[in-house]
Amino acid sequence: MSTPLLAIEGLEVRHGAVTAVHGLSLEVDRGEIVGLIGPNGAGKSSTLHAIMGAVRPAAGDVRVRGESVVGKRPEEVARQGVALVPEGRRIFAELSVEENLKLGLAGRRTRDGADDDFARVYELFPAVRESLRRKAGTLSGGQQQQLAIARALVADPEVLLLDEPSLGLAPRMVDVVFETLVTIRDRGLAVLLVEQRAQRTVALADRSHVLANGQQRLTLGPESADDTAALVSAYMA
Amino acid sequence: MTVAVLNIDWQTLADATGLGAIYALMAVGIGLVFGVLRLVNFAYGQLVMAGAYALAFASEHGWSLWVGIPLCFAVVVTLSMLMDRIVFRPLRTQSPAVMLVATFAVAFLLQSIALLWFGPLGKIASSLATLNQPVTVSGVDIRKIAIVAIGLGALCLLALVLLLGRTRVGLHMRAAAMDFRTAELLGVRAGRVIGAAVVISGVLAAIVAVMLTVQNPLVTPDFALRDTILVLAGVVLGGMNRLVPATLGGFAIGFASGLLGGALPTNQSQYLPSFLFAAVILVLLFRPGGLFTREGQQAVERV
Amino acid sequence: MRRALLLQLLAPLALVALAALVGTLVSTSTETYVINALVNVVIVVALYVFIGNSGVLSFGHISFVAVGAWAAGVLSMPVEEKPAIMPHLFGLLGEHTVGNIWSLALAAAVGAAYALVVGLPLMRLSGLGAGIATFGVLEITHNVLRYWEKIGPGLNTFSAVPETTGLLQASLGAALAVIVAFGYRRMRFGRLLSATREDAAAARAVGVSVYRQRLVAFVLSGALAGFAGGLLVHMLPVNTESVYLDLTFLTLAMLVIGGATSLWGAVVGALAVSAVDSFLAEAESGIHLFGRSVDFPAGTRIVVVGALMALVLILRPAGLTGGREFSVPLARPRRLLTKFAR
Repeated sequence: MSTPLLAIEGLEVRHGAVTAVHGLSLEVDRGEIVGLIGPNGAGKSSTLHAIMGAVRPAAGDVRVRGESVVGKRPEEVARQGVALVPEGRRIFAELSVEENLKLGLAGRRTRDGADDDFARVYELFPAVRESLRRKAGTLSGGQQQQLAIARALVADPEVLLLDEPSLGLAPRMVDVVFETLVTIRDRGLAVLLVEQRAQRTVALADRSHVLANGQQRLTLGPESADDTAALVSAYMA
Repeated sequence: MTVAVLNIDWQTLADATGLGAIYALMAVGIGLVFGVLRLVNFAYGQLVMAGAYALAFASEHGWSLWVGIPLCFAVVVTLSMLMDRIVFRPLRTQSPAVMLVATFAVAFLLQSIALLWFGPLGKIASSLATLNQPVTVSGVDIRKIAIVAIGLGALCLLALVLLLGRTRVGLHMRAAAMDFRTAELLGVRAGRVIGAAVVISGVLAAIVAVMLTVQNPLVTPDFALRDTILVLAGVVLGGMNRLVPATLGGFAIGFASGLLGGALPTNQSQYLPSFLFAAVILVLLFRPGGLFTREGQQAVERV
Repeated sequence: MRRALLLQLLAPLALVALAALVGTLVSTSTETYVINALVNVVIVVALYVFIGNSGVLSFGHISFVAVGAWAAGVLSMPVEEKPAIMPHLFGLLGEHTVGNIWSLALAAAVGAAYALVVGLPLMRLSGLGAGIATFGVLEITHNVLRYWEKIGPGLNTFSAVPETTGLLQASLGAALAVIVAFGYRRMRFGRLLSATREDAAAARAVGVSVYRQRLVAFVLSGALAGFAGGLLVHMLPVNTESVYLDLTFLTLAMLVIGGATSLWGAVVGALAVSAVDSFLAEAESGIHLFGRSVDFPAGTRIVVVGALMALVLILRPAGLTGGREFSVPLARPRRLLTKFAR
């Protein structure tokens, strides 16, 4: 068995006295979407922040291509080929769409092939291409989400982390975003998707881990998508 | 020939614009560092002071300008980087208030070191004194330094606009100033961005030192102290969160104090600082984002 | 528990008493330094009451010291001296002179009143905003006192004010400040305010008005600072420059070095830094130490104090005392014993 692209083992994250994540283990390999679902405050975002090095885990390990990234700064983790689409999109509203995309280049290991990546991103998100000169803050919510994903892809990552990309989007836009994730997976990226929309995530992902109060409760395959609600609520009780 | 309304002559107007340009550069220097570090540097004036001493040192030793000015730049930029490395970096995780106290301490420290080193009487930086001579432009006498200040100020601002707008490090600096955490998450190198801001703000301080020593060749430990306090007020008035408003604020303060200082009799202009700081307090209370920012762009922390 | 509490009051008081005792033993010229140190204690305790309890920065407290000094100085100067030093004084101010106690009480009252006027709008701010706004207050106060000759000497110095602040008054004043600060901290007000420092959102959630609590502390500390200004003007000839940036820096440094969040820290910081500062001040004018003549150049004081402050900020941000109140070290061996017993 080869080393998975992203591996988390026994991850524990604390914010002061509060334990946000407790003993989480999961793996994501290339060409996979792994879902991480659970209610607000379950520790989903904390997990992503720990992977990126924005918070230091209290225990456990995060490995990219078998190499631990614990203790590295976010900028270094980004250069390891991990890109994050943060919660609430976090695009730079005052900068132009193009400038936002260019910021994504900061996480690249090499400049080579950047033009191809831009072309591929434009192909994936025609709406982004059409508004390059506009201020990013003037885009609609769905377009901003596309821009946030595009910005992450420009970094040419191998691992893509998404923090609730469907938050605040119209149902039609949620469809667009989720379809995009399939395309991205099929290009061979490892995708870790944090979501509150449990059922859709379970249906999309190769595996979905259910997180509650920082603990891993249950792992679901796409076949259980229809029963997600029942299964999850049974475990949340 | 005078502008009728306030009995201001063209020379005063030119001097005021020149002072405005100098203050605008200081405002950029303070604003850049504030942008990426969220740190109001009370000690900025002492960078200028150090540069002025370097110029005075060179001029007292009879060194040419080609030595004096590079020396001034080297001293100021080095000091700016040292300040960041020794003081700001260890305090980066502290609250803005702690950092404010720390820069306040650094300001006093540097000022006393200057006192210790060079004594209270002051040194003369006279190499550029010729710039105080007037030139006659269509019948009006204007000091050369006013023209130089305006020209150099415009040039620096243009260079900055290009740097911030057209280069990668400029884009990264702007992004970091807007949202440091997200910029870092995208792979923007925090150290490089902060380093660039610290160096640029040092370079600006050096330029300001050169120009201020022309206006006032007597370099004392409190050189540029009043100017810095005024510029800080201007930066807050304009809007410290954003570079363009901060720069405008700095310019406005310099222009206004140059104009009123030249036009009003002393017994009317002496309360100028009070009005200025009263305005600062009002802005902090009612428009914490500054006067020159649009509504909805006011993200300075409130409580 | 009760005894621990009593100690928290007695320890700083004892330190003040110790300083006073030292003052009685030394030569007259050194005594001046002790008196000065005790006045500094009052200022730093005033700073502690607001900054320490609220966690909000203020660069403006020396304004209250200044107006206190102005009130006491203007009113206690003998009427016949006033025209020479303050020729433009308002009629009423020029025609009256008050005694020592009244003068100090007035200084405190004026300090409190000014703090109230300033605090009403400013207590809405915190963090950076508060820092800059209070700095603005310092600038305005300095500017107005410097040029408004109807309320004081303007650019002149307050000479001819009765020098009543001797060792006795300075130590009594410092003790009074300590007791007031301690009492405030123990009162409901003080406890509520420290709650807002720990967690402003939580304190608001349980119905504490952060604004009102800060205002109360601000006015009280304004009164103490004004009182200190009164002591100051009765100690040495004050002018606008002696109650401006240098004193602001020095007293803030004392608070930070001692530990801003405790009364003990404020007193320790004030006395320790004053001691260092006095020694260096003396050394700047040349002293003999261990048989050798030491002569530090002017400016050494602030360099040393500034470096100390920067060091403490970087290495020990909570200050020398760790920002904790005084407690008996005896408690520790006992804990050790119980550990071993297990």
